[in-house]
Amino acid sequence: MKRLDFTLIVTLILLLTIGLLAIYSSAGIRYLLRQLIFLPVGIAGLLIAFLAPRRFIYGLADILYALTLILLIAVLFVGTGPGARRWFGIGSFTFQPSELAKITTVLMLAKYLGYRREIRFNFKSLAGPILLVLAPILLILAEPDLSTALIFLPAFAAMLYWQGLRPLYILLLFMPLFSFAAGFSLYLWVPFFIILAVIVFIRLRLFRAILALGVGSVFGLLSPVVLSMLKDYQRARIIGFFAPWFDPHGMGWNAIQSQIAIGSGRILGKGYLRGTQKRLGFLPNRHTDFIFSAIAEEFGLLGCLVLLSLFALLIYRILRTAYQTRDQNGALICIGLGTMIGYQTFVNIAMLLGLLPITGIPLPFISYGGSSLFASMVMLGLVLNVASKPE
Amino acid sequence: MKIRFRRLTQIGIALFALLFLRLGYLQVLRGVRYARLSDRNRIRRIVLPAPRGKIFDRNGVLLADTRPSWTVAVIPTETNDSALTLLSTILNQPVEDIKRRLEPIAAFPAPVNICRDVPLKTVAQIEENNFRLPGVLVRVDPVRNYPYRNLYAHSIGYLGEITEEELSRDTSYRRLDYIGKTGIEAKYERYLRGRDGFEFVEVDVRGREIGPLLEKRPEPPIPGKDIHLTIDHRLQSLAYELTAKYERAAVVGILVKTGEVLCLVSRPDFDPNIFLSPLNAARWESLVFNPSKPFFNRAISSGYPPGSTFKPLVALLAQELGLVTPQTTLLPCSGVFRYGNRDFKCWSRHGRLNLLGAIEQSCNTYFYQLGMRIRVDTLASFCERFGLGRTTGIDIPGEGTGNIPSRDFLNRRYGKGKWTQGVMLNFAIGQGEILLTPLQLALAYAGIANNGFYYQPRLVSHIDSAGRTILCPGGERFVIPLQQEAINAVKRALTRVVLYGTGRAAQIQEITIAGKTGTAQNPPRPDHALFVGYAPAEEPEVVFAVVCENAGHGGAVAAPIVSELVRAYFANKTGQ
Repeated sequence: MKRLDFTLIVTLILLLTIGLLAIYSSAGIRYLLRQLIFLPVGIAGLLIAFLAPRRFIYGLADILYALTLILLIAVLFVGTGPGARRWFGIGSFTFQPSELAKITTVLMLAKYLGYRREIRFNFKSLAGPILLVLAPILLILAEPDLSTALIFLPAFAAMLYWQGLRPLYILLLFMPLFSFAAGFSLYLWVPFFIILAVIVFIRLRLFRAILALGVGSVFGLLSPVVLSMLKDYQRARIIGFFAPWFDPHGMGWNAIQSQIAIGSGRILGKGYLRGTQKRLGFLPNRHTDFIFSAIAEEFGLLGCLVLLSLFALLIYRILRTAYQTRDQNGALICIGLGTMIGYQTFVNIAMLLGLLPITGIPLPFISYGGSSLFASMVMLGLVLNVASKPE
Repeated sequence: MKIRFRRLTQIGIALFALLFLRLGYLQVLRGVRYARLSDRNRIRRIVLPAPRGKIFDRNGVLLADTRPSWTVAVIPTETNDSALTLLSTILNQPVEDIKRRLEPIAAFPAPVNICRDVPLKTVAQIEENNFRLPGVLVRVDPVRNYPYRNLYAHSIGYLGEITEEELSRDTSYRRLDYIGKTGIEAKYERYLRGRDGFEFVEVDVRGREIGPLLEKRPEPPIPGKDIHLTIDHRLQSLAYELTAKYERAAVVGILVKTGEVLCLVSRPDFDPNIFLSPLNAARWESLVFNPSKPFFNRAISSGYPPGSTFKPLVALLAQELGLVTPQTTLLPCSGVFRYGNRDFKCWSRHGRLNLLGAIEQSCNTYFYQLGMRIRVDTLASFCERFGLGRTTGIDIPGEGTGNIPSRDFLNRRYGKGKWTQGVMLNFAIGQGEILLTPLQLALAYAGIANNGFYYQPRLVSHIDSAGRTILCPGGERFVIPLQQEAINAVKRALTRVVLYGTGRAAQIQEITIAGKTGTAQNPPRPDHALFVGYAPAEEPEVVFAVVCENAGHGGAVAAPIVSELVRAYFANKTGQ
């Protein structure tokens, strides 16, 4: 019989309850009922992930991963969605394969990294995992859905770290990407390059430091070149992804409305169902990406503290599971999935608070939406599975 | 493991602490202020419209700029029915129209433009009734201004309010935005448009603005880019004046060595300014239902039978096919040519002529005889070399292709086998189903003048942003494979047309003009008058094509126009 981590279960139930209450408050009975239909599907996913023998899951990782890639390719051809191809439509419901990809990629990476005792900073060691994580990222970028594609990176970094790769090397590994992203604006890139230079000259031998800076410059120079090759509207779209704060239309308005909603909740909140901002219809997507603003408006700082604590506890328990288990593969899965949930939570809330640019990312367990809920539930099922007993 | 677990936990705690601190800042330190703002959502987003890029002629004459105008706007969330009713009587606009404009944005506390360019009297009326018009405001907006009015209606084009369809294609526009509909305004919309700025202001309970919202810095508008045209305003004005007495006419002037368009006139026309202020219905209807179609750009869209201006091309082809040399004489012209059981007329009795004389005197009989010996498809493929029968690629929208009849075309039109080689008699003198746009005609002559190549015509010389040139679209070069001796012969003939032949009305003292008259039949209405000419004949710089619909003889009507234009072109050049 499998043992249950009751703290995780209780935390999960509380988060789901808050989510349902918030969906009802911000979007009404119709969306609540739809979310209630998704819920059993999510619970079933959680149970399957929890009950299935771990050896069986590990064994299936390659097949599941391959299947996901096929789905990600297929969605580019037959998918639907406003301005992008992200969803499979099934009747009036939709399914987003990139949500599935989050899980299967972590499973695959865990399996691949788990086989090795230690990981070194060289081509032989890193080429495999990089390819494994790059494939789904590139396919999701093609949809295009940059914000979802980015979720893979912190999970990948955390898993490498867990396997013993030094933080400096992880930084160097991600450096070309940072350099490319910063390269869209000289004001971003120059400080980035200075910081990079300081770090590598302190921590690396001269030749390697110069090499690292060289690679960084090439990628930094690449982005203006790539930008200039694109057509005007494509360029606007890319800049919109990387730097949405450049776009004065729409974004600024949403961010401001979200901050007013949150701030006006003050310490105790306006009370459940009493939010004015969301009722006036100023908050866009208030039941999905912006749901935290609605919660913050109605429950205030105290309510937010409770919610943040629940998330912190959830993520802490997931990391602790990784720490306590003797199943190395399972530990890596927990690290990957825990990082993903933590990253999504942080980014979603930070953008509503005006700390990060606004891009579409749902709040796990809270936001309305079937695919997201299902994926989050399966993630938790896997964690519970690892926590249940040593294997 | 322990240290890694601890590190990850620490990172997590740090990030969540950051969120919590920010929450505290927003909800405790700024909570009172945000609560006030959310109380009646007392912030308003104001769009600061970007001034559209200016348009200049080749010498820096301002052809389109922006001027300030009074705009009446309504904030849907702050107004009420009685205010809208009052507003509708002041603006003399049905209240349903106003409501329809507000409808799609009804939940937005931002001003929606209702009426642009209202007169000062109306502004005063609104200000007087201020207290009875909550949510109504008057602002100053930049509005497009075309100082030369009708003169550039067809080249620069006009702006109009964005349609639902255009909105769904480009989401960066807002409802009620103006967008280029035709001409340069449409083609270079993305350069001219610029980017609107915005600011957030806090307003009091009565909707009056208190000041800018501290949380959000305003974004200043980015003005559109300035466009410099190849058009020469002096030539354009002159061409416009010279065609004033004709109801329907078109003039195209091109620099043969670059493809730059110097003038582009199409009559009748309209004043593009009228779309920018409340439109008078009667005025609108007089334009739309005008049988002469003022919106139609005759210079680039309308296919005309080229008449005798087509003969030099036939002469080139006939020489290439080896049918004739410049000295070859054919059956003498008796004023009528019999083919089958039909009589084909010439406009005079020319007697015995060689090829050069036939062009000079525009003798139909000579060309009928050439037509008998040229197959339809041979002519069609020869015309293709000149780019006829397809668009030239000029950088404004709406170009026509004209028509070059091929065997397939005739089969479709008359039925297979229902037509004979007899059609070629008409084609050889530029009649029948052959249709060319004035622009194509000018380019074909540019090709002859240039000894076998021409440039893609263009209206934009360069685009400036903040005084710096950012785009300089060069026209593509096209080569027409032709025999040099054949070209030389035709050019000689074209010079003689003006010196001794049908185009003597184009003669001027200072410069030798070469060209060809055309009088295209257009039964049952009077003939179209055409003239295409380039100058100087020895070293061609500029080519003009003129078509005056139903105006009579090309030599009498169109040729003098070209001579005036050529004179003005060289006068301007030396005057510079």
